[in-house]
Amino acid sequence: MSPDQLVKAKEESEELGGYFIVNGIEKIIRMLLVNRRNFPMAIKRGAFMKRGAGYTQFGIVMRCVRPDQTSQTNALHYLNDGNVNLRFSWRKAEYLVPAMMVLKALVETNDREIYEGIVGAAGSEGLEDKQFVTDRVELLLRTYKVYGLHSQAKTRAYLGQKFKVVLQIPDDISDVDAGTEFLRKIVLPHLGSNNVTESQDADKFRMLLFMTRKLYALVEGECAVDNPDAVQSQEVLLGGHLFGQILKEKLDEWLNSLRLPLSDWGRRNEWPTFTSPQFQRDFIPKILRKTNENIGQAMEYFLSTGNLVSPTGLDLQQTAGFVVVAEKINFYRFISHFRMVHRGAFFAQLKTTTVRKLLPESWGFLCPVHTPDGSPCGLLNHFAHKCKLATESVDVSAIPGLVARLGVSSRSSASLDASVVVQLDGRVLGFCSPKQAKAIGDTLRYWKVEGTHGVPLELEIGYIPNSDGGQYPGVYMFSQSARMYRPVKYLPLNKLDYVGPFEQPFMSIAVTDPEIVSGDSTHVEYDPTNILSILANMTPFSDFNQSPRNMYQCQMGKQSMGTPGAAGRYRTDNKTYRLQTGQTPIVRPPLHNEYGLDNFPNGANAVVAVISYTGYDMDDAMIINKSAHERGFGHGTIYKTKICDLAEGTGKSRSARTVSKLFGFAPDGLVMAKWRETLDDDGWPRIGTLLKHGDIIAAWHNVSLDPGSGEYINRDGATQFFKYKEDEVAFVEEVRIIGSESGLDPCQKISIKLRVPRSPVIGDKFSSRHGQKGVLSQKWPAVDMPFSESGIQPDVIINPHAFPSRMTIGMFVESLAGKAGALHGIAQDSTPFRFDEQNRAVDYFGHQLMKAGYNYYGNEPMYSGITGQELAADIYIGVVYYQRLRHMVNDKYQVRTTGPINQLTGQPIKGRKKGGGIRVGEMERDALLAHGTAFLLQDRLMNCSDYMKAAICRRCGSFLSTAPTVPEFDKKKRGSSTVRCRRCATLAAGMESKSDIWTDGQGIRYTGGSDVAVVAVPGVLKYLDVELASMGIRLKFQVEP
Amino acid sequence: MDPYGDGDNKEINVRFLQADNVRANFIVQNFNLETANSLRRVMLAEIPTLAIDVVEVLDNTSVLADEFICHRLGLIPLCSKGVDDLLYSRDCDCEGYCENCAVVLTLQARCTGNEIMKVFARDLVVSSARPTEEVGNPVITDAEGQGSCIVKLRRGQAIHMRCIAKKGIAKEHAKWAPSAAIGFEYDPANKLRHLDYWCEGDDWKEEWPMDEERVNLDGGPEQEDQDFDYDAVPTRFFFDVETVGGLDPDQIVTKGIETLQHKLADVIHQLKGGENADGADFGGAQSPQMNGGGYQDQGYTTPFQGGNTSVWGSGNPAGGTTPYGATPGYGQASNW
Repeated sequence: MSPDQLVKAKEESEELGGYFIVNGIEKIIRMLLVNRRNFPMAIKRGAFMKRGAGYTQFGIVMRCVRPDQTSQTNALHYLNDGNVNLRFSWRKAEYLVPAMMVLKALVETNDREIYEGIVGAAGSEGLEDKQFVTDRVELLLRTYKVYGLHSQAKTRAYLGQKFKVVLQIPDDISDVDAGTEFLRKIVLPHLGSNNVTESQDADKFRMLLFMTRKLYALVEGECAVDNPDAVQSQEVLLGGHLFGQILKEKLDEWLNSLRLPLSDWGRRNEWPTFTSPQFQRDFIPKILRKTNENIGQAMEYFLSTGNLVSPTGLDLQQTAGFVVVAEKINFYRFISHFRMVHRGAFFAQLKTTTVRKLLPESWGFLCPVHTPDGSPCGLLNHFAHKCKLATESVDVSAIPGLVARLGVSSRSSASLDASVVVQLDGRVLGFCSPKQAKAIGDTLRYWKVEGTHGVPLELEIGYIPNSDGGQYPGVYMFSQSARMYRPVKYLPLNKLDYVGPFEQPFMSIAVTDPEIVSGDSTHVEYDPTNILSILANMTPFSDFNQSPRNMYQCQMGKQSMGTPGAAGRYRTDNKTYRLQTGQTPIVRPPLHNEYGLDNFPNGANAVVAVISYTGYDMDDAMIINKSAHERGFGHGTIYKTKICDLAEGTGKSRSARTVSKLFGFAPDGLVMAKWRETLDDDGWPRIGTLLKHGDIIAAWHNVSLDPGSGEYINRDGATQFFKYKEDEVAFVEEVRIIGSESGLDPCQKISIKLRVPRSPVIGDKFSSRHGQKGVLSQKWPAVDMPFSESGIQPDVIINPHAFPSRMTIGMFVESLAGKAGALHGIAQDSTPFRFDEQNRAVDYFGHQLMKAGYNYYGNEPMYSGITGQELAADIYIGVVYYQRLRHMVNDKYQVRTTGPINQLTGQPIKGRKKGGGIRVGEMERDALLAHGTAFLLQDRLMNCSDYMKAAICRRCGSFLSTAPTVPEFDKKKRGSSTVRCRRCATLAAGMESKSDIWTDGQGIRYTGGSDVAVVAVPGVLKYLDVELASMGIRLKFQVEP
Repeated sequence: MDPYGDGDNKEINVRFLQADNVRANFIVQNFNLETANSLRRVMLAEIPTLAIDVVEVLDNTSVLADEFICHRLGLIPLCSKGVDDLLYSRDCDCEGYCENCAVVLTLQARCTGNEIMKVFARDLVVSSARPTEEVGNPVITDAEGQGSCIVKLRRGQAIHMRCIAKKGIAKEHAKWAPSAAIGFEYDPANKLRHLDYWCEGDDWKEEWPMDEERVNLDGGPEQEDQDFDYDAVPTRFFFDVETVGGLDPDQIVTKGIETLQHKLADVIHQLKGGENADGADFGGAQSPQMNGGGYQDQGYTTPFQGGNTSVWGSGNPAGGTTPYGATPGYGQASNW
């Protein structure tokens, strides 16, 4: 849709989609990093040894992806004796098969062919040095003899017989066919998973041989392991691919569920054929109806919860957390969701930090700055802004021919120095000498950039050179989807080339033009900022900052009150934040415009003085000018949606008969003028009304259906109300009437959008774009603010101590640039890496300032606003873009003197909402003890907590035996009752003087027990006494004096 | 005799460098810092002007929220010439507002065309009697004669507001500020050494911009051979008053002096103990307290409803009313 159409459809004008709306919530399928497809990765993992006796830590893992993007992982394990087993998972269970068996089953072969395929052709170069491999392959072949399976058919039959049940293959299929099915479904399915031809089986055979070869090379130490944590060996699980996989599985499940009703029907009807009219008639009502065809519901469940319910597990390592909410707190946060990629929930639990490390391979693909700190650090990454994702496979039909022409043969030598592999999408194209391999890589790249010979530009040509124990050499080409790639300039042709993460580590890409090394560099970056994400690019002069500060800014940019969108009018989010007085930053990179961020301002330019002026700017506090505040600096709004539902709690059934309440004033009832202050005639609030705590926001009355007229009649004439329960004032922005689905029933539900004005108050959080957050500490009167000679007063004052330890020089430069930009009326380019030692940013902006008649370094003499005297030091003052963060005291403050308490213990309850207190815990107690502040300690722990006066018997030292006396005859008079101890008292014999006798609540007469004192104790002490007494333990207290 | 020369017991002397309808750039000589700064402060914050203070929203179907537009309306400068003839609303006998203490402006606009319509400050129409013909008119200085844009309307949207402009001072709210920034400077050559200039190199004079003109007006650059006078005080002050439009710049200065005199007179009046010495009259305006209004209570009440009744305390047969109030020694909290 065009922007105009989108606006008319009540959408954002630049809406790009890419998310699902489930129950009114925008949900995104988060991208996941998974193993690179169709590449045999060498892995060394201790856990491999747990597979069984003889298993070693060596393995080759290959994630094979079928054309429908479902994947099947094949792994080869090396056993101590030199044997190789193939491991795979099927329906969440693991199976191990001797690799030899699979090899023999794939093609009609012989031992020599396998031997030469693994070791190298007979008589080829370096065979004599391959003692290690030859020994093991010999053993491999020899040990396989125990199975006694000599032909391909026999092997397939053996496999088929073993896996028939596992693969759910019908009984009436022959073992050989079942074996073929096994090979089709499980063994290297990327080389053929549908109508597998013999040549595809041969491909599989060659690939398996190659994997074995690489495994032996790994064990021998000839090659190093591949790092599964580097993007080099990763690709992206795209939302659409995952969605498709789930859909496929659900459809498959449904198809399988058809079987039972179908056979049931068949048995009952004496097996008519599918072409019979009886079947035609019964299929839909009698067979299909019995299945659960609601696949949409299953997909909706996935999208709303992010939980994966799957019998196969989809070859993934997690079952939950695939879907996240695309929060629209501001536009930065919203767009970040679409560039976000997660390593997987499994890695979040890992104790080691290796998976979180920033690796050089990530250069240009994952942003080194934009990752949260804390638990998801390094696992939740964001793509660099120029990184693209392949969503389609490219046409590579010309490649095998080209490669053959460039001199690739099917026979390999024993030594890697003599021949290396050439692969395309996990298919062995052949072998060639290392020298040739380089030539192939270079030639194909040239053609690819040139756009000739049918080599597509998006093809990834990973040439891995021979090395001494490095990565296994060869040429590996990738053409399929889900890859990352990024644009760089190819120097020989001075044209755009796309580079993928697999090939990048072995290429020489200069970062800047001066860095190009003649004869080595093949590529150069278009811009060094291409490695940064969109958000990281928005941090001005981030190359001047200490790196963690840029990370913090990436976090805070996403929490700032900004402009979530222009279609807010048509949205009913539970809570949205909006900045009323947003501005475009004076200092910004051109990318700011490219991404259209001016449509979504995220803060305001402020004149910032770095000075310690009042003491109210200590410890990251900031002072703002009261006048600036009054003119609207940082003013924001929160929109909240409240729902008034009459049918709430009346049960699930929503039939028309259950209507028992209607909105509006009771027709014949009294309507008080007070009610009409906030409500309109219809009983709903008036737009624009100011609401305070306890105000009524909607009126309703009870009704019952009159069966005669079919109308709802109110009988009691009483009107009831919904009330506004929050403490803050709010305006009614909008009232939405939510009708029933049929459109016939009376309205039972309204949604009220409220607007809470939030001008900055002391305690609200602000931040610059350099990870420099601070809390507003005072709104300082403008006359008392320091001022410059021209009379400029700062809007914001921050303390100089915020800088030395944090080293956010970028903020200084921004201040300088902002000042110069404001003076000359220009927007300043703040792209990082534009300045260097020769062309310094300070000089550039300093000259601009000098031209405007200011000090070169941005300092200005200032005067005290209070005395008018010139301050002894000149002050660094400039213009900095400030963000208001969404953390506001109004949502957080917690105060209590007295308030609700826990019934049982008498101690204050917890919880801000309930008016509870903040616990003085053990550590706080320790601190108070250490300071010797006994009075404070008692105040907190007892007086303000569960202070109580309790009666205790001095003689027996018990709280529990004391009881108030009850006057014998006048039970109503209770006030002046004294407390006595029943335990120490004796039953009155009747001879005592009347004044000695007292009566307890049960009317029993006692004498004595009068040695009772009232002490102040914590309430729980008495409770503890009671609890212990119930266990038969008596507490005895000594009361002194 | 050199009228601009230094020395004791010279007459206060004002010399204008530039004066037009937006700014007054002048030098005050033989003055002292304290008074000069007082004048600056008064001109910034205590000259009464007129600004929209209360808005009655009769209709607002624009995209902006009521309070948003109201805030914008408040910040529109209104002509304040003759504002002295108005009373402060709080001193007036009327309820709410009347012609003696307020000027009513009406803003009414409805967009009927297909184009987006802008509502400007010029659309504010004074609709009440007022002391002078000028006071309360929106200040319009742009060439098109439109004033600042208040809100944009689309077809079918309308806005109708009654704006009550009242007299006030900028201490209370920045909208009553008569001036924009006020330039204030003394000793441009830093002869008094009040400032220790930071410089990258050795000599600050090479790095810092020097306003030669001002330095010459301030008795020329520092003489190399002259000894530093430790007792020297600033006597010559450069003012640069810029108006926001409500008052002419020279009016701001004279009104500033007037206000300052009133304030001082009040102090003298208070000190002498006149019949009205109870501190009720501070010459009209008084700035609000920093936290917004004085506290009525002593701070010992809690907002929590029924704060002093705890379930525990009242349910306990032996205990008093509240655990807190019954603590020995706490009953006299108000005596602190």
